[in-house]
Amino acid sequence: MRIEYINPFVEASFDILNEILGTSVKRGQLYLKKLGESMKGVAVVIGVTGQVTGRIVFDMSEATSLKLAEKLNGEKFDDFNDMARSTIAEIANMITGRAVTKLDKEGLAFDFTPPTIISGTNLNIYESEMEALIIPLDTGMGIVEINIAFKE
Amino acid sequence: MGILIGEDGLPVGKKSTGGNFKVLCIDDSQFIIKQLSQIFMSRDFEVVGTAINGKQGLELYKSLYPNVDLVTLDITMPEMDGLETLQKIKESDPNAVVIMVTALGTADAVKEAIKLGAKGYIVKPLDREKVLERIGQILK
Repeated sequence: MRIEYINPFVEASFDILNEILGTSVKRGQLYLKKLGESMKGVAVVIGVTGQVTGRIVFDMSEATSLKLAEKLNGEKFDDFNDMARSTIAEIANMITGRAVTKLDKEGLAFDFTPPTIISGTNLNIYESEMEALIIPLDTGMGIVEINIAFKE
Repeated sequence: MGILIGEDGLPVGKKSTGGNFKVLCIDDSQFIIKQLSQIFMSRDFEVVGTAINGKQGLELYKSLYPNVDLVTLDITMPEMDGLETLQKIKESDPNAVVIMVTALGTADAVKEAIKLGAKGYIVKPLDREKVLERIGQILK
């Protein structure tokens, strides 16, 4: 995966989370994830097309997703309800949109699908011929891992 | 139909000719609809309808017509996307005032929307003051 395709997603994740949460988000070390390794519990999947084919998964625990949704809505949620899901999906949408805008400014054409949320225990993603790059972000309300797998 | 500007420089959802500005919000995100509704209602705009996809939004626009002064329209939506919805709303009412709400800042979709007759666009994440400033500029 080319770094010029990845960097806009790293920067956009960092910028959007800092803007909307009003906190200081910390970035952890990037690493590669093996296929089939389990996800944390709530995964927002966005398909990407254009210069590459692939997807981005925003992976977090349900506890983290609830804390983020509560912070952005200014209200307490007892469970991962429709509004909480919509909030988490929109965060992923905003990050991807910002990244695609940055890529567009560099003359790179990317497009993306509306977000899909998958939640549950023991979630796994299996893909052939793809290796996922993980960008861990500590939001102060839990870790959100940006999981990117692109194929040229 | 000018819009009134408050002492804080931000628009108030009241028409200079009397009555409130009526808004229809079309977005597949409940979260964005909630945020926009809160922003509009905090300034006396009247949110007369919300829809979660383009198809529903178009039907709602037609049924509410002529009692909609402003439509906020998401670009990326399932069923019928924002561009197709914009085109159909403009076919049905060439004078419709539509503002796109998008996570994309410069992409072709935004340029296409302007070509199709959108009055402007707002980029997410939504900041209350920036949204109101933009609405004020567009509706003045």
